Amino acid sequence: MELFRVSRDVYGREVLQGMSWDLLWVFIGIGCVMIVAHAAYRMLFAPKQR
Amino acid sequence: MAVCVLVLLGTAFLPIVGLQFPWVAVHWMAGVVLAVAVLFHIVSVLARGTWGSMWIGRADLADIVEVAGAALRRTLPTRKPGKYSVAQKLIHHAFTLVVLTTLVTGGFLLLRIDTPWWQRNPYVFGDATWGIVYVLHGIAALMLVTMVMMHVYFALRPEKLKFTRAMILGWITRREFDEHHDKERWQVDR
Repeated sequence: MELFRVSRDVYGREVLQGMSWDLLWVFIGIGCVMIVAHAAYRMLFAPKQR
Repeated sequence: MAVCVLVLLGTAFLPIVGLQFPWVAVHWMAGVVLAVAVLFHIVSVLARGTWGSMWIGRADLADIVEVAGAALRRTLPTRKPGKYSVAQKLIHHAFTLVVLTTLVTGGFLLLRIDTPWWQRNPYVFGDATWGIVYVLHGIAALMLVTMVMMHVYFALRPEKLKFTRAMILGWITRREFDEHHDKERWQVDR
């Protein structure tokens, strides 16, 4: 998986175009993992709130 | 601000996942509205003199130690926060950093499109500089996706619904104040 999008200019030099949009799914995945981990912690381990 | 961020994320990422539509105009207009809203928020906070309520001080550091200890002992923390908990302050600062990054870089990117105020001029910066602007705009937008997911999750948790209501409507009950806030750290008029 690439971190950045790059292209080449008219001289053949690499030009940075921005972040790779493949990373969108990584960041969505991180969000899902954190939500599931927190929900599991609250359900299984955390003391009940007042 | 929340609606603007959702519109901005939708117009940024829906075309990437395959839902094609003319997104650029809606995106930059939502960005301008968000910038105005952030500016209004900053001026409003300065006018009310409540800048310090988001400051992380010694008491907040003690809160972190106590919350971490309580989590390890599987007990409830006994210390109460002032107006905002340290977690709320941290997420506010994270959103501040990420949203300001998108706004500043988005402001530069506005120079690359025609607007009612100017004609596009992509030659203001060189390719390398534009690349850095795009990377910063992109990484901040990607971070916003995760942060918005977490923010919505916590807002919808049953024990946090009172904070969600307070965030939307701007008030809490006396009982909620007594149960969840330290009146020494948050001195209210009524």
